[in-house]
Amino acid sequence: MLDRIRRHWMLYLLIAPILAYFCAFLFYPMAQGIFLSTQKAGLLGPVGFIGWDNYAKVFSTPAVWQAIWNTLIIAAGITIVGTLLPILPAIALLQITPDWLKRGFQTAIYTPYLLSWVIIVGIWLNTLSPVGLVNSVLEGVGLIDAPINFFADPFWARPMVIGLTVWKDVGFHALIYLAALLSLSPDILEAADIDGANDYKKIRDILLPHLMPMIKVVFLITLLGSLRTFDSAFLMLNGRTADQIRTLAIFTYERGILNFDLGLASAAGVVLLVVSLLISGVAQVVTRTEREN
Amino acid sequence: MLRSPSIRILSYVILLFLAGTMIIPLWTVVATAFSTKFGSLQAGINLWPNPISFEGFDTLFRRLNFVLPFANTLYVTVVGTVAHVLLSALGGYVLIQEDLPGRKIIAGVILLTLTIPTQVILVPLFVVFKQFMLLNTLLSLIVSELVSAFSILLMKTYFEQVPKSMVESARIDGAGHVKLLKDFYLPLALPGVVTVAAFQIVHKYNLFIEPLLFINDPQKITLQIALQSVIQGESSTSTNDFIAPNVTMAAIVVALVPLLIFYPFMQKYLIRGLTVGGVKE
Repeated sequence: MLDRIRRHWMLYLLIAPILAYFCAFLFYPMAQGIFLSTQKAGLLGPVGFIGWDNYAKVFSTPAVWQAIWNTLIIAAGITIVGTLLPILPAIALLQITPDWLKRGFQTAIYTPYLLSWVIIVGIWLNTLSPVGLVNSVLEGVGLIDAPINFFADPFWARPMVIGLTVWKDVGFHALIYLAALLSLSPDILEAADIDGANDYKKIRDILLPHLMPMIKVVFLITLLGSLRTFDSAFLMLNGRTADQIRTLAIFTYERGILNFDLGLASAAGVVLLVVSLLISGVAQVVTRTEREN
Repeated sequence: MLRSPSIRILSYVILLFLAGTMIIPLWTVVATAFSTKFGSLQAGINLWPNPISFEGFDTLFRRLNFVLPFANTLYVTVVGTVAHVLLSALGGYVLIQEDLPGRKIIAGVILLTLTIPTQVILVPLFVVFKQFMLLNTLLSLIVSELVSAFSILLMKTYFEQVPKSMVESARIDGAGHVKLLKDFYLPLALPGVVTVAAFQIVHKYNLFIEPLLFINDPQKITLQIALQSVIQGESSTSTNDFIAPNVTMAAIVVALVPLLIFYPFMQKYLIRGLTVGGVKE
């Protein structure tokens, strides 16, 4: 054993910078966060141990509960719609026959995934502005009397964050589903044809069950990602929508960096980590046991 | 696949609708960008600028500082991607060494990093970057996500597909690890290398949280932050002037150009990468 370790010294040397990096810039900050959450914050940094006081303050601050609630609603919306909706374009892409057209559709629906949130919010600020395309069309056909101010209306705030996130990821998820569908042997669908199954039955009894493992994977990725929503909501945040879409991640940023309340913000960060680990842990156990049955 | 005409029609409707939600807003962005200031303020459905004007671009480049952020982002993207790819390749290479004692522990530590997302540790990250004296440096943006578990695992997946027999003879001839990696694994797993690089280029180009957190020196500002301040109209060009939509949309068009140039070459890898990552699970 010792001999094998000695023989491989070069490999340990190669991996050392990576492990050092993770320690210095991920595990150490995480530990710092837990440390800071037990400290009383002074102007120039932590000034002393105060135990659970920051956590008590976190849970007695109404803004934190509001932020947790916002995070959960937004995450639920993104996860449910973002997991299920892309099944439609994935199955639809299977039907498109000229290859160039199929590739064109793929490119068009995948592109938003590569765009930054700044660009996405910028694009839709233009299209959804009170004098923009969507309002003009809706007014033109008489669906609404006055333009809807999508980005400054508390009612639309959460649907906008959820909708734009789903829109950004729909092509990405659809292509994951499409790859899974393409691994299905055509023989099975042919056999179903011979047995006289109609399209509805083929989708329900063959395509969807075949897709199920991948749906669970996408569900978990989306759930984890949506619980830490920051950029999207941050860029859509303004005086009128703040109470609807200030997520827990945004709360820690505002309190910790802008107001310099390191203790409270770190405690809120730890709460966010624990909540997301718990939820994803439960989700993982649930999807795994289902898979085994 | 499916036979009924109604399903085929429905498929086209779904895809045309989704593609439309991409193409039409993008088209109106371009149309607005090439409008005059007055034209861009008109209500209604403006799908073609009338008259066509470069006023927006002119304001953007002559009166707002948009070149420096571009240069900063280019620097971070190039240096950051090269460093990220090299380190990820090292990680992937070490993880495929089956007889390495402690390989499982190393893999475990790398996987553990996936449970700590940036957004959860924003505040301590700020404190730690301050301790390392990285605040207000472009280096901070290269250091954040210098290497990631996702890229290491992707490299590992591609390296595993390199036939052992090809490497074995070189190993017997006495080739060291660095030589094996440089002359065999990297060239033979080139699609994997390009995939990691492509995702990283997009990621670095789009960085937003990190510059927001680490940088407030106007000389070190990056593209997305500059773009955000144009969109939010914070950096007004002069006291009695305001930023009209044509300038905002011109800024978006300018920020889109590098992606649109890069996209056709990389699309294959970006799509393949996500299916490799997805199918592996």
